[in-house]
Amino acid sequence: MTLPRPVRAEAGEPVDVTMTVNGTEVSLSLPARVTLADALRDHLGLTGTHLGCEHGVCGMCTVLVDGSAARACLLFACQLDGADIVTVEGLGRPDDLHPLQEAFGSHHALQCGFCTPGFLLSSYDLLAHKPDVAEEDLPVELSGVLCRCTGYRNILSAVSEVAGAHRDGIPEPRNCGHHVLMGHTAAKPGAKSAPEPVGVEEIELPQGDPTFTVEVTQELTASPEKTWAVLDDIDLVAACLPGAEITEHLGDDRYRGQARVSVGPIRLSFAGLAQVTERDAEAHRLRVIGQGEDVGGGRTQAVILLVAEETGAGTRLRATAQVYLTGRIAQFGRALAGDVSRRMFEQFAAAVEETAVSGVRTTARKPPGALALLAATLAAKAREWGRRLRRAEHNPPTHPKGTQR
Amino acid sequence: MKAAPFAYVRPATLDDAVAELVRSAGEGKVLAGGQSLVPILAMRLARPSTVVDIAALSELDFVRRDGDELVIGALVRQRTLEGHPLAAAVPLLRLALPWIGHRELRSRGTVCGSIAHADPAAELPAVACCLGASLEIAGPHGRRTVTAAEFFHGAMATSVGAEDVLAAVRFPVARPGEGFGFAEIARRHGDFALAGVATRFRADDGEAAFTAFGVSDRPVTRDVTGLGDDEVADLARDLVDTAGDTHGSREYRQRLVAALAVRELARARRAAEGGTA
Repeated sequence: MTLPRPVRAEAGEPVDVTMTVNGTEVSLSLPARVTLADALRDHLGLTGTHLGCEHGVCGMCTVLVDGSAARACLLFACQLDGADIVTVEGLGRPDDLHPLQEAFGSHHALQCGFCTPGFLLSSYDLLAHKPDVAEEDLPVELSGVLCRCTGYRNILSAVSEVAGAHRDGIPEPRNCGHHVLMGHTAAKPGAKSAPEPVGVEEIELPQGDPTFTVEVTQELTASPEKTWAVLDDIDLVAACLPGAEITEHLGDDRYRGQARVSVGPIRLSFAGLAQVTERDAEAHRLRVIGQGEDVGGGRTQAVILLVAEETGAGTRLRATAQVYLTGRIAQFGRALAGDVSRRMFEQFAAAVEETAVSGVRTTARKPPGALALLAATLAAKAREWGRRLRRAEHNPPTHPKGTQR
Repeated sequence: MKAAPFAYVRPATLDDAVAELVRSAGEGKVLAGGQSLVPILAMRLARPSTVVDIAALSELDFVRRDGDELVIGALVRQRTLEGHPLAAAVPLLRLALPWIGHRELRSRGTVCGSIAHADPAAELPAVACCLGASLEIAGPHGRRTVTAAEFFHGAMATSVGAEDVLAAVRFPVARPGEGFGFAEIARRHGDFALAGVATRFRADDGEAAFTAFGVSDRPVTRDVTGLGDDEVADLARDLVDTAGDTHGSREYRQRLVAALAVRELARARRAAEGGTA
């Protein structure tokens, strides 16, 4: 660890801090009194770090700082210049949980779940530094976190099982390093009130597994050539995409743009970059990488492949999107996000069809039919639930609760 | 539970840190690990105009052996010392450190910070008093060294003035034939002690002492060389200088500290005679 840089800031004046959060370097500019817990939650959208007492007693906000568990409510974010932070979001992914998370699940060690992130990171630190810890020492060793459900027995069983299975060392956190987190910072005094679009000029290729993948095909009556003529023109593509807008051509098939999506109360406004990485006129294939940052601190990246295939009767437009979400936006249910993306693609395909057939840019298109999108998504959900219910009448479910969280 | 606004300064040298404190005219506060200061700021019990973060003072980031003393700079965290090879020379530290808060607090809390904070129920001030440590204070008029016995003035009051920084603590290393004991009773492991003791015993001349904490406004040390268990217990009981509270009555604390003093002195004696601290 390097020593932090000298700083001087008057009361209320923001302090610059650069730290690594779940493997990704972030730069923030915050008043000195903002705690690490608040910086993670309010400025990076990482709300997995919970806050209970806010004065160091309860341990809900426990995170790893330079590899050791620490109370995020007892640290000012500005103190952590150069530090390496791991939060519960970095510990595992929904489809690849850390062994501690698996064990907490299988031992029913979560109950209300409020203390779980604190217990996970406290026990991670314990097993990382004392892999040979004796079972009878666990109550004292884990006494830094309180469980308000008093579900300690199951928590101890879970940690004990993982300790027994990993005497040679606990596996590393599984979700560090492939995020693109970007600090959402308060405007500096004197700065324009409207936040400038993110000054990112380079698109970072996403790494690791996407948050979700959408694959959709849509039959169009327009010919593949006419469809390709639309796909080949990035301004037309953007015009067909609900809520999207190209604001600047940067050269080398790179574009600056923005996109607005709203689903019910959720309103996301992304500013970002897109780059065409493959443009194959013969195969009618277009591959685009997009990257955007929401003003609320969410970050999304997508690798989108569009292919217009000949079907005889017209065109089969096939789209594959690998979507990577981080920050607050990632909280928004994955299944719902997938559905929204699917609806967006259906609207996109319809607009491509319209443009390809008419040969005219459809400028009258309303930006993201927010309500329409939600209505369509919910209607589809309702149909699905209806089917499930009808099935359930014949086959009562074995699990009383849905699995969606 | 949010701190009031404060100016934040992170100077690069100890001299600059002292200059910042001078500039804040008594309204400045030194921040090291923050594990005691931040809760006080969060509850707005303290509202310093300026917080001087000493995290960048590389000159205070050291643990070193200096003759028969172990010298620990102000940046050294409690967990760093727990795992430090040189710390074995001061066995009482090894016994006391695991009692401080929880792992999560020790990973940020500093050794000097806990001593400078001087909570009457804290472990390290008691260790400093039991061993006769000395404290190096840097101020606008240069450096001075104060013994632990003179250092603690009362609850959270020490020789560190508003323009001073506690730069280092010097613990005497154990001599052969010295043994130590340490224990405390708290409602939950890691909470502040209802009562606790640190003890030392020297096999060659039978010198024995204990320091009680959590029972008065500062750690209190008594020389109990040659005294029997009953006399030690009586002496310990008399040290309780606090009325009862919701956590325990005065009588309960008296019983605790008497029992702990006798038990931990016996432990120190066994360690001294058995050659293990």
